[in-house]
Amino acid sequence: MSPLVLVVLLSSLGLGTAMTFASSHWLLAWMGLEINTLAILPLMAQQNHPRAMEATTKYFLIQATAAAMILFASTTNAWASGQWDITYPSHPVTATITMAALAMKIGLAPTHFWLPEVLQGVSLTTGLILSTWQKLAPFALILQVANYTPPYMLTALALCSTLVGGWGGLNQTQLRKILAYSSIAHLGWMILVAQMAPQLTLIALITYIVMTTAAFLTLNNMDATKTATLASSWTKSPTLTAMACLVLLSLGGLPPLTGFLPKWLILQEVTNQGFIPTATVMALSALLSLYFYLRLTYAMSLTLFPHTFNSVTPWRMTAKRPTLLLSTTIIMTTCLLPLTPSALTLLI
Amino acid sequence: MLKVLIPTLMLFPTTWLAPKKWLWATTTSHSLIIALISLTWLNWTAETGWTLPNSYMAIDPLSAPLLVLACWLLPLMILASQNHTRTEPISRQRTFICLLISLQAFLILAFGATEILMFYVMFEATLVPTLIIITRWGNQAERLNAGTYFLFYTLAGSLPLLVALLALQNSTGSLSMIILNFNPPLALASWGDMMWWAACLIAFLVKMPLYGVHLWLPKAHVEAPIAGSMVLAAVLLKLGGYGMIRMSTILDPITKEAAYPFIVLALWGIIMTGSICLRQTDLKSLIAYSSVSHMGLVAGGILIQTPWGLTGALILMIAHGLVSSALFCLANTSYERTHSRTMALARGMQMLFPLTATWWFVANLANLALPPLPNLMGEVMIITTMFNWSPWTLILTGLGTLITAGYSLYMFLMTQRGPVPEHIKGLTPYHTREHLLITLHLLPVILLVLKPELIWGWFY
Amino acid sequence: MTPVQFSFTTAFILGLMGLTFHRTHLLSALLCLEGMMLALFVALSLWTLQTEVTNFSAAPMLLLAFSACEASVGLALLVATNRTHGPNQLQALNILQC
Repeated sequence: MSPLVLVVLLSSLGLGTAMTFASSHWLLAWMGLEINTLAILPLMAQQNHPRAMEATTKYFLIQATAAAMILFASTTNAWASGQWDITYPSHPVTATITMAALAMKIGLAPTHFWLPEVLQGVSLTTGLILSTWQKLAPFALILQVANYTPPYMLTALALCSTLVGGWGGLNQTQLRKILAYSSIAHLGWMILVAQMAPQLTLIALITYIVMTTAAFLTLNNMDATKTATLASSWTKSPTLTAMACLVLLSLGGLPPLTGFLPKWLILQEVTNQGFIPTATVMALSALLSLYFYLRLTYAMSLTLFPHTFNSVTPWRMTAKRPTLLLSTTIIMTTCLLPLTPSALTLLI
Repeated sequence: MLKVLIPTLMLFPTTWLAPKKWLWATTTSHSLIIALISLTWLNWTAETGWTLPNSYMAIDPLSAPLLVLACWLLPLMILASQNHTRTEPISRQRTFICLLISLQAFLILAFGATEILMFYVMFEATLVPTLIIITRWGNQAERLNAGTYFLFYTLAGSLPLLVALLALQNSTGSLSMIILNFNPPLALASWGDMMWWAACLIAFLVKMPLYGVHLWLPKAHVEAPIAGSMVLAAVLLKLGGYGMIRMSTILDPITKEAAYPFIVLALWGIIMTGSICLRQTDLKSLIAYSSVSHMGLVAGGILIQTPWGLTGALILMIAHGLVSSALFCLANTSYERTHSRTMALARGMQMLFPLTATWWFVANLANLALPPLPNLMGEVMIITTMFNWSPWTLILTGLGTLITAGYSLYMFLMTQRGPVPEHIKGLTPYHTREHLLITLHLLPVILLVLKPELIWGWFY
Repeated sequence: MTPVQFSFTTAFILGLMGLTFHRTHLLSALLCLEGMMLALFVALSLWTLQTEVTNFSAAPMLLLAFSACEASVGLALLVATNRTHGPNQLQALNILQC
């Protein structure tokens, strides 16, 4: 893809998200979402490959339908109340339809089936954009409409997502599908507190983006898309492999690492609101996802390839890819838990 | 507290910057100095129950012995791991030492924390280094299975604890161990409160481990390298006992009735795991099951909640920590020579290594609680307090002691006595390092006979 | 619910139903999507007419422009999948499933 086109596409990707962030009008928010979708499609389809085409088509159909449903809900709301304002209290029915459409857009559990397949069809960098940047605009809307949706709907979406995200990933060997299921599970955690404490959703979203970026960039650095490829990663870059173990356990939410931060705060909020069984089920469902992260660490860091390589060990060669973002996100993924008070002060 | 914690953290640069030749010597001596400094915690001068070096960490007579044990174990682990990591590249040796050091740092933070949530976070934080030690440096393919069992048993037990702690914080407003003692007893009556009570204890009972949820422990011990086995037996299991003692002050009113099933299970576990020991062929597995058996006694002593019970539990925890760690070291020295953990394959070692046979003898006697040793003191205190509660428990505890003597004798006879098989005559002699290692384990046990009140905890 | 509201709601929901349950051909999916967009266009323009909000009168045109973009992207994808997958049955898009 020529650099000029890439610049145009990336800047309109940014423009779409910024429009959704800045708008208080449903039509403008919808336009932002549409620009976002239209800008990512050429990026997804840049390899002329059946898998990429299929992923693009599926992504397009899902996103266009979800966006149309959002606009339909807001139009209905405007017919009923005469208001186009996003923050204006909307009718519970339209708020529910909007939330369902937004859940479909980010891939929450009952409407998650497109996410693993789409992520499987695109390259790791595009997959990174899909699972981080593309979540921002819908989340900006979710945080604004969450107040008017029925609370049970959010809890049901959250429990469903964490359980489905955990179960679904157990049987996978393809890394991008595993990351997609991990994304579903994390989104479930975020949506759980979207109504009770939106700032915690924001913290969870930020840490999720940091951790997912680290994971995607690590895999991108190793050129790995299957679990079997990971077995030889010690010979490619030993330090990165050693750190990747911590990144994956952080995604799983083990305590001394950053991944525990959002889980801790969210559990605290949910417990304070009195939903103790919900909190327990959420906490235990994190074990399901932890199992497949643990399997990845086994395959990548904690076992060695059974026989040695005869070729020159690849880690002696200089790295071709820039690793600034990778190293920054890895440090943030592993060491952010002691900064929990600062994160709370910044965002609350 | 910081005068130990900061040198511990400074061990990381020491490990990475020390020249290759001096790596093991420097880290061992550095950590030994830290261990010696930590001995000052045992010198108890405070009038109050706690000494507060800073606002987040404190020491009281309960945590001081465990802290010293955690510090004492690091040089021993480094000493013990020298041989089996010898063939690895130097950077991996450094990584291995770093994992051991991080484990010690987490353990100090866990035992020193005043906030229960901080204790919880550090309790969980020890999982990651231990998991990496077991699954990366273990020897066989089953180590992956053992790592999974270890992680998931502990987490499945402790995630409900997190929710329970957050609920407690919501109702009392604070989770500080110093303040919580002064709270009025919680009025717990409903089924939900019962679940809360169970959630508070089960995490520690799994870690301890209680009979029934102990399956992860033999696997982890058998598959772990020597340092992993040592720290697991000596300190990590004690995190469970320590946590239970801390939590039981809060859970008071309903523990009296609700703890019965757990006490029964713990006492029954002594018999069961002791019997399992009697028919083991695998040396490390035998020592692991003997740990479960001893920990059952500790769990019973804590749950009965009398001063004698708690004191006995703490004494037994410390003594068992040192002795089981020594036994694992001995098993490992034998494993490094014969490359087999099967006891039937390495018999008659007394003829080959008489001094090591002496170590085996002393360690086995300590394991079966020979009179002057602190193991006996702990066991007798717990058995007495159980007897005081219900005379019938004497059948279980007495039988348990008998079985302990039985399997200790079995272990000693199988490994040390008998004819020397033909295939093991060409073994390398024992190094001074290994004799030093065992001495440093057994010396504190013997010295504690002279001044046992150091590990008597609150009720001295 | 007024008859106008009822009619555009029904049109939208019929389009959505078609997209959801009639999964045979990619072109039919695109047509259903276009039908949904047109129902929204009708809804928006009738809302503008009925409430007589002048500064909102450009909105239906913006919607139409975006839906045209969307339709063209859909047709482009139709061509692209036709080249990679052969006939445009939606059932043929199955190489990514688990």
